[in-house]
Amino acid sequence: MGAEPLPRPRPCHDHGPCHDHGGRTLAEASDRILAGRAADGDLRAFEVLVRRHGPLMRAYAARVLGSNSEVDDVVQETFITAWKKLPTLDDLSVVKSWLMRIVNRKAIDRIRARHDDRPLLDWDDETPPEQGPEKQAEAQSQREQLKGALDRLPEAQKQCWVMKEVGGFSYEEISEELGVPPSTVRGLLARARKTLIREMEEWR
Amino acid sequence: MTDITGDDRHDDILDVYGDYLDRGEQPPAELIEASAENQLAWAALLRVRDAAGSLVDLEAEAAENPLASGWVESILANVQREVRSGRSIPLTHPSPRARLTVTEAAVLGLVRAAGDSVDGVLIGRCVLDGDVEQPGAPVRVRVEASVFWGENIPDRAEALRAAIAHTLLEHTELTVESIDVTVTDVHLRRQAPVDGDGLAPADGDGIAPGDGDGIAPGDGDGSAR
Repeated sequence: MGAEPLPRPRPCHDHGPCHDHGGRTLAEASDRILAGRAADGDLRAFEVLVRRHGPLMRAYAARVLGSNSEVDDVVQETFITAWKKLPTLDDLSVVKSWLMRIVNRKAIDRIRARHDDRPLLDWDDETPPEQGPEKQAEAQSQREQLKGALDRLPEAQKQCWVMKEVGGFSYEEISEELGVPPSTVRGLLARARKTLIREMEEWR
Repeated sequence: MTDITGDDRHDDILDVYGDYLDRGEQPPAELIEASAENQLAWAALLRVRDAAGSLVDLEAEAAENPLASGWVESILANVQREVRSGRSIPLTHPSPRARLTVTEAAVLGLVRAAGDSVDGVLIGRCVLDGDVEQPGAPVRVRVEASVFWGENIPDRAEALRAAIAHTLLEHTELTVESIDVTVTDVHLRRQAPVDGDGLAPADGDGIAPGDGDGIAPGDGDGSAR
């Protein structure tokens, strides 16, 4: 995707948003104004949104996917979907969390594809074998240790944890996005947290 | 699930703590201090939270990983292929056999260009409310705008309304019943003022207004200066 030639010269360049009369201030405009303009077809406003939120979307997609290899594709797809659907967004001021939801969904779709589209809760069966303490001792830092513990969680638990703790989604939103009841989300999250604590600490 | 600790009481207290934290509250000090076990569980929870700090701090990670060159351009190139022209707005043509229309997207682009020609405001969403495809049908134009800090809001809204009315009258045959301007925010200019108002005229870098939405460049921009 990245190497594709551009259909025509772009008005804007690598050094940031454009510099004409409107563009000078576009870079400082609120999300609501930018989203409104983009919904009406203003590509320059959309560009500012991509530059403003793109790095965060990439960081989040990497957390959900657990790797970097598909991140760029997922985020690019996210913005293309966003451009198409912006005119239908009722509350323009929530564009950032709306983008987060789209990127979350795209990333989860990728994971589902890896799992042959089986329902999310089935993935929960695939608890990897317990890692021995010597494995944990190899972890260089608490952060690495937690990351490892997170990677070892069953997929459904991991999704819930990442959506809640990293994405800041509510129980209701997680339930909606994953298509499972809120009570299930609560249970998955509780198990994820306990496992993480157990793996991280000998607190007895 | 296997309970490594072999003691469910630890799980219980973690559930209780979890409920508090999910509500955005801290568990009461009396609860944490009620037993050594509770204290240990709380300390463990905090340590996980600390370790999670950098893992969940997307902002920091995002700041460390700037977008690769060409990444944004690639998205924009893809996006440009998505045509969103909207409704077809009729224009009269001298020949009775010809049918002439202008796309809604083009008209919105004109409104935006008109808005951008007004100092001290930035136009946002614009909605043409009414049956624009029907010649002569009344149309209400609703726009959102941001006014720069320190500007007179009613004055800027009026200037915006006048610029939009002028553009629509000049370039379309819409029967504009009203132009409603909603100021949704006031925004600060980070840059030091240039030419007294911080809005220097176009830099002469050849950027056409409304680029990317099919509007002939040249109109709208500069006419109100």
